Formats: sequence, C-alpha cells, structure tokens
Amino acid sequence: MFDSLGGAGRRHAALTVLIVVMIAVPPWLGSYYHFIAGLALINVIVATGLNLLTGNAGQISLCHSSFMAIGAYTTTYLFTKVGFYFWLALPAGGLLAALFGFALGFPALRLRGFYLAVVTLGFLEVTQILIEQIPSITGGVRGMQAARPPIFGMTLSSDLSLYYAILPVTLFGLWCAASLLNSPTGRAFNAIRNSEAAAQTLAIPLARTKIIAFVIAAFYAGIGGGLFATLVGFIDPIEFGVWTSIRHVVFIIVGGLGSVAGSAVGAIVLTVLPELLRGFKEYNEFVFGGLLLIVLIVLPNGLVGLWPMLLGRLRAFGWPIPGKSGA
Amino acid sequence: MSFFMIEGASVVFRGLRAVSSVGLSMDKGQIHGLIGPNGAGKTSLVNAISGLVPLAAGSIVLEGRELHHLAAHRIAAFGIGRTFQHAEIFADRTVGENVMTGGYAHRRSKLYQDLLGTWRKVTLERQVRAEAEAMLAAFGLLHLRDTFAGDLPFGTLKKIDLARALMARPRVLMLDEPTSGMNNVEAQDVIASCRRIADEFGVTLLVIEHNMRVIMGLAQIIHVLDHGEMIAEGTPSEVQKNPRVIEAYLGQGAAHA
Repeated sequence: MFDSLGGAGRRHAALTVLIVVMIAVPPWLGSYYHFIAGLALINVIVATGLNLLTGNAGQISLCHSSFMAIGAYTTTYLFTKVGFYFWLALPAGGLLAALFGFALGFPALRLRGFYLAVVTLGFLEVTQILIEQIPSITGGVRGMQAARPPIFGMTLSSDLSLYYAILPVTLFGLWCAASLLNSPTGRAFNAIRNSEAAAQTLAIPLARTKIIAFVIAAFYAGIGGGLFATLVGFIDPIEFGVWTSIRHVVFIIVGGLGSVAGSAVGAIVLTVLPELLRGFKEYNEFVFGGLLLIVLIVLPNGLVGLWPMLLGRLRAFGWPIPGKSGA
Repeated sequence: MSFFMIEGASVVFRGLRAVSSVGLSMDKGQIHGLIGPNGAGKTSLVNAISGLVPLAAGSIVLEGRELHHLAAHRIAAFGIGRTFQHAEIFADRTVGENVMTGGYAHRRSKLYQDLLGTWRKVTLERQVRAEAEAMLAAFGLLHLRDTFAGDLPFGTLKKIDLARALMARPRVLMLDEPTSGMNNVEAQDVIASCRRIADEFGVTLLVIEHNMRVIMGLAQIIHVLDHGEMIAEGTPSEVQKNPRVIEAYLGQGAAHA
C-alpha cells in the first residue's frame, strides 16, 4: 500500500502506524500488560540515550543503571519528601544525572574500550555504596517508596493512565535523538567513533563531543529512572545494579547499534519477550538467551537490520519492491 | 611575511627525530609539493602541522597567527585542512554523511537546536545537505550519496576524503598522496580538481605525492625531505636536477653515474 510513496514517505507512514498502535492498542490488553508496556517505554528512553553514547559516540558505559538510580532517587525524593511538582522533579532528576554524566565524561577523555568500561563499573559501585550510606535520603538498603504523579489534578494511579503519561516523554526522547543524529553534533558523534584523527582535522573537538554524549545519555537515563520509580512504586539499590546496566547494553546491541529505531525495537522486544516466554517456565531464560544468540549471529546489524534484509531477499526472488536496500 | 609559514619544525618520536628543523613558506593560492623517499618524514610533518602529533620545536603561522600551540580541532577551525594517506573515512556512514560531517566547522545551529529539531536547525540542515551534494557532484560521486562508504574502493574513498576536507572550506589544504589507489585517468581527474581548488577557491595546497610525474606537473614549488631534513626546494625543474635529490631517491653514487 506504500508503493506510491518514496523511502521517506514510507518511513513516515510506518511511524504513524506505529504511534497509532501505541496509542490505541494498550486499553485492549490486560491490566498486567499496561505495566509491561510502561516499562518497555521507559527502557526505550534509557536505551535511546545509551545508544547515542555507545552506538554513535563509541563510548562504553556499564553504569547506565547508576544514572537511572540518580534520576530515580532524585525525582522520588523531591516529589515525595520535598513536595515538588512531579513533572518538575523528573527533569531535576534528569539534570542531576546529566551532571554526573558530565563528571564521568572526563575520564573518558583519556581512557577507551575496556579501561573506560572499568571506570564506569567503578562509578556504579560508588553510586551503590552512596545509596546505601545515606539512608536519610535514599532509604538505604531497605529502599524507598515512590508515589504516582498527578496530572491536571488527578493522580495517575492506574498503570494505563501512567502509560499514557510516559508515552509522550518517550516519543519526545526519540524525536530528539533522531534530530540529533541528523545534525552537526550527531555527525560529530559518529565521526569520533570512526576516526578521532579525521574528526579533529574537521574541527570536531574530541573532549567537548564526548562530554556532550555522556551528558545527554545520562539525562535520558535519569528521566528513565524517575519514571521507573513512579511506575514500579518502590526503589532499592539492587534494582540499579550492574545487571540492569548490562541489560541496556544488550537492548541496543540486539536492536541495532547507532540506530534510534534500534534502541526502540531492542528495548521493546526484550522487555516484552520475557513476559511472552513465561509459558516456558523454568526454560524461560534458556529460550531468551537462545533467541539473543540467534539474533546476534543472523543479524549483525541488530533487529533493525531484519527489515532491509527481508526486502533484499524478496527482491532477489523477483518481488516488485521499490526503493533501495540498506537501512 | 608569507601567507603560511613553517619555521624550524621538528617532530620527535621517543627520541627519534622524524622531522628535523624544517621550514617552508607558501603564498596564498599556491600549490606546493612535498616529496621524499619512504620514511622521510612527510606525513609526520603534515601530522604536526594539523596538530595530531606535537611539535617538538618550531612554529606554524597562518596569516600572522601562531597555530602550533593550539589543539588539532582549533587548527582545523582556523582553516588548515588535510586528507589522509589511508583516507580515514567514516566507514559505517553513507558517502553523503561523510561529506556533510566536513561542514562541522561552519555549523550554525546550537546544541539545543540540534536536539530539539527546531525549524532553524532543519533549514540549516537542508543547506548543508545541498552543499554536500554540490561537492559530491563536483567529484562525480553524487550517485553514491546513500551508499555506505565502507563498501567502496580505495580510490573512491580518497575522493570522498578530499570532498569532506573541502566541505570545511580550508584556507590551507594538505593532501597526503591524493592519487594513491587510482588508475591514471582517475589520478588526472583528481589533479585537475586540485588545480581547480587552488584557482577557484584560492585554497593553498601542500601535496604529498609519490607519483613524480603527477607532482612535477602540478606544483609550482617542490620541497624534498629525506631522513626528516629538507634537502632541497625549488621549482620542479630545479629539484629534478638537484644531485642530493637524485641521490636520495636512487641511492649513493647515482648522481655521479
């Protein structure tokens, strides 16, 4: 049905369909899935930021759960203890996470690869210890109750209403990431990952660009963390451990490194899939891991590489599909 | 005072002198050649001028402004561009994006505009795209705009590297073996482009080249490096007759044979 449209037109049409689905479908699902859908959207936000940092700017972070934690605790503290308006507490959490991202950007100026990964792991440890050591603010190891936000004077107590509040935040985050990648800053990200030497000779400042990437990625994670706290209703340090960080790295690798669509697809599929696999009971993790392996082996460009690959195959069989192959 | 001047430039790697007290000066719009045997220090000199490796001693002055204390990206922003021997293309990006990246030096959108996708950013982006397409067309690469650069042959990558460097609108452009990996026809094409760049845009060119026929036909002045030292400079015909140059290229005794 999109044959008459060009490549961009088809993309817009597909996006519109997707957004309509995201708005119209959830009410028809069981209330348990409203929670999962909200969680998926939050994971999309965090993965999108991480993908800009890792997939585009080429900087490894194994402490994204810490940025989430900073956002989650700040938002929850300001909202439940200080009495901030939630929708102000949320960006405040994002900003504080971004500030830590800024600080963490500096070691990244000197270190790369494994060394940077180890530094970010260190940062994760420090954050965990800090959370445990200031129980007056964070509730320590026993955790902290979070509350649901109001909107227009009504509290978003149902998971479905919260889902609809998270959806525009997620879409806005995706919009910003897509816009960034089609801008001088986004191209600078991709340039420093590919060749620092060439980037510099095109007047791209390495330090500034890396730090911007860390700040933006941390802000996304902070916002995701704040929303996570309010969706789940309870946060503790374990929630933001290294496993959460690794899961976000897996999201972007499976979805597609360096691709905004990849962040979204990876986060949604890998959040929803384990729920769908519940039927396998004790084999759940086994099936999940197996699917991951298959994706990584068959689709080196992640799930977003699937569509162009299918189109290419179909065209090879003589199907009249317009447009070019390639993502 | 010349437009672009290098004085007493030395580059040292772990005690080894790769470039030793080299000086050269260029007038605006001139094309100079930089030649010498393998390991003579040509690329090291270019790396030092672009700030990618530190200068152990000496000065680099463009239009009266000292550049050798600046970071590499500032030197580039001040108008010194370069290409790379191995092209250093952003392999997983399209040809179009590679060339658009060259426009970074002249970006006019602010970071928040890049993020929010404001109307101004969208408009500026359209201009950069049009500029990049014009540049690609000038090198006969427009049909490759949406192709991933990593899939292309080396000669094409060299052209993309050149187009990308020009997008930054440099005042001095250093080309590191611009015709390597090309057949004769392509090489002549690139040489013609170099002349056009110097004439039309008034860009001053410093060209490292192994192909003697190419460089002798292109450059007005040729500088010859050997073992990191400048052993000769002058017009192509002067340099070709210089016994030290013949010796450096053909070995001891060749000049007397």
